[in-house]
Amino acid sequence: MASTFHAAVTGLGLVTPGGIGVEASWRAIRAGRPAAARDPALAGLPVDLSCRVPGFDADALLGRRTAWRLDRYVHLALVAAREAVADAGLDPASWDGTRVGVVMGNALGGVGTFTAQHRTLLDEGAGRMSSLLIPMMGVNMVAGYLAMDTGAHGPNLVTTTACASATTAIGTARELLRADRCDIVLAGGAEAGLCQPIVAGFTRMGALSARVDDPAAASRPFERHRDGFVAAEGAGVLVLERPEHALARGARVRARVSGYGATADAHHATAPDPTGAGAEAAIRAALADAELRPSDVDHVNAHATSTPAGDAAEAGVLRRLFPDGPAVTSVKGVTGHALGAAGAIDAACAVLSVEESVVPPTANVSGHDPDLDIDVVHGAARSVPVAAATSNSFGFGGQNAVLVLTANRGG
Amino acid sequence: MSTVDVVVTGMGATTPLGGDVTSTWDALLAGKNGIRANDAEWVSKFDLPTRLAAPLAVEPSEVLPRVQLRRLDRCEQIAIIAAREAWADAGFERPTEEHQSVEPERLGVAIGTGIGGPVTLLDQDDLLENHGLRKVSPLTVPMLMPNGPAAHVSIDLMARAGVHSPASACASGAEGLATAWQMIQTGRADVVVAGGAEACIHQITVAGFAQSRTLSLRNDEPERASRPFDVDRDGFVLGEGAGVLVLEREDHARARGARIYGRLAGTGITSDAYHITGNHPEGIGQINAITQAIRTAGLSPTDIGHVNAHATSTVVGDIGEAVAISKAIGEHVVLTAPKSALGHLVGGAGAVESIATLLSIYHGIIPATRNLENQDPKVTLDVVAGEPRKLELTAAVNDSFGFGGHNVALAFTAA
Repeated sequence: MASTFHAAVTGLGLVTPGGIGVEASWRAIRAGRPAAARDPALAGLPVDLSCRVPGFDADALLGRRTAWRLDRYVHLALVAAREAVADAGLDPASWDGTRVGVVMGNALGGVGTFTAQHRTLLDEGAGRMSSLLIPMMGVNMVAGYLAMDTGAHGPNLVTTTACASATTAIGTARELLRADRCDIVLAGGAEAGLCQPIVAGFTRMGALSARVDDPAAASRPFERHRDGFVAAEGAGVLVLERPEHALARGARVRARVSGYGATADAHHATAPDPTGAGAEAAIRAALADAELRPSDVDHVNAHATSTPAGDAAEAGVLRRLFPDGPAVTSVKGVTGHALGAAGAIDAACAVLSVEESVVPPTANVSGHDPDLDIDVVHGAARSVPVAAATSNSFGFGGQNAVLVLTANRGG
Repeated sequence: MSTVDVVVTGMGATTPLGGDVTSTWDALLAGKNGIRANDAEWVSKFDLPTRLAAPLAVEPSEVLPRVQLRRLDRCEQIAIIAAREAWADAGFERPTEEHQSVEPERLGVAIGTGIGGPVTLLDQDDLLENHGLRKVSPLTVPMLMPNGPAAHVSIDLMARAGVHSPASACASGAEGLATAWQMIQTGRADVVVAGGAEACIHQITVAGFAQSRTLSLRNDEPERASRPFDVDRDGFVLGEGAGVLVLEREDHARARGARIYGRLAGTGITSDAYHITGNHPEGIGQINAITQAIRTAGLSPTDIGHVNAHATSTVVGDIGEAVAISKAIGEHVVLTAPKSALGHLVGGAGAVESIATLLSIYHGIIPATRNLENQDPKVTLDVVAGEPRKLELTAAVNDSFGFGGHNVALAFTAA
């Protein structure tokens, strides 16, 4: 294979349960401030916890004419994408749209619109349904609409690998840049699936934290008393560019996506492979792609969602693979698990860790767990130089995707 | 130009025309019809304006055991059925812990779906509403997630080199093949099981498509309802089905002496960035996708003898595509539109139609477009009608376009 390809990260956009915008989100994540709360929309279910984006008013942010035509997951994506494009100093009015791609991850599509419209059909009849139901519910619409919003005429893809969707999207975007199909790709993920049937399904699967009496303590990745994840919504978008394109326009390169690995467990529809073989293979593939050794990795932004089995399997892989003990964190203690958006939120945080030499704490972790025996940052953010980090994502169905992010220095 | 030759060594399908590739292809050549009156109870209950559908010819319950059926959404069921056929057709054995025909770390899956498992979602929502949480299936989320078909095929065939499920609405199946091609190009896999699956004939989707005024209303004549390129076309018919192809590095296939149907030689993916449901009026995105597929295949437009068109039988869409094809390829190309017989399989369409494209090259024959009685005068290209046409082909293109402005073109060549 050719030598390492470093995709330049020149822009970030985040809409998370920590806040709207990169600054608000990062502030909450750095402070380790959990967002989980009881959710009136889930009332009646035994687990009614969620992490919602606070104060997100689509009509105000996007205008009513745009908002009514799109599902909430596209609303979140649109706000994040606009922030990322502005952050990159790009002007869609002047770029060559044929060289701009969009690759977005999403796990559930417009389930909220879908269930609500079905209710309309049952209660009021077909004639009352929205003529836009089909495009609104589609998992593909997020990429289609971002292209319309920005005039991106290049490849337009949506990757669905469950909870790894956004990581797959960013890895796929890097491959489009490496193959010279694009100069710029908007890549990330979006999810807004906080409706009753989805949360009921996760509950019946036994995947959610039942700590309804203490919401702030519910999401506790890598912590001994963890009992499941808290479902979240959110969006993250990264602007990736071919390095020479970023250089030529004098863009600020915040970090680089230098490696990508994807594997499958081929084991079980919902349970992770307890040996973690597939996850380990994905991390190894990403490192090989980046031409780095495990000892080069300073920081791991873990997938860890706060489930007993999943976190233990991931910790086992990290312990085996990284004898030097990089600083590990899971931002899901703060944000909850945003499913198809999670990988983009994680990757954006890893970019910020590389850029600012700081690793945020994992919320609700109070000390070292000798059983897991990995270095989980807890209590407060830790200042540590991060030359290379991995961002891990593992999805239901056994889909593993890993990115390597590196600091923008040297070749 | 592509650097690694990617060949097709196995194919599987379950469609409104048949439960496998052979019966589907034979029915296409014989001009048979897969479109039926939709007599589901919900059609009259909700007084839906369209009473047409293209259901599977063979129910999954005739093929898979009951326990498995219960644990899988219908689109997951048909993905597995098509994948097993393709796998066996490629000459591979079912994997066991002791023996695998392809090293799992070098075997990938890329199966797209447009919509995923909405029927599961709504059924479970009803159960929750009417009977409470305890009746909701713990498999709800894995059954409704759009990566479910790909994930289940990866488990079934022990594929560990990465599992992908692109979603680009009606172009998803074609994008599955493009993703697989890319995985082999970049060295991530030697063999990829790829395609698309969709099974969403349900009151909500039919009502939704009807509200967006894209469905045929020719309720009294199901067999004449889907009529791409005909002047009297009035919309598409929603169908269900899956198509799966085994893509393989050519040297890998040659080394094991596999039968080679042909090559996936090039792919093109673009977007309109124009409108949620409407096509770009000048077809720029479609033209660029077709041009890109031909260019990455190292071919020129004059090499392309045949296009298996996306043409769904909508008034606007068919014209736009015909214009795009003539601009991208030229007036010499011979078209067919298999949705006239199959209906629109949404995320399964691009894969099933790619199988037809490849078989046209392999056998030198193009199936006719059903119901093409009066070709729309705005369509100047040669569309096969009446009887199938025998034609030596070295290269052909399959088009797929999706709501949201997704354009995917695939260039296939003879082995």
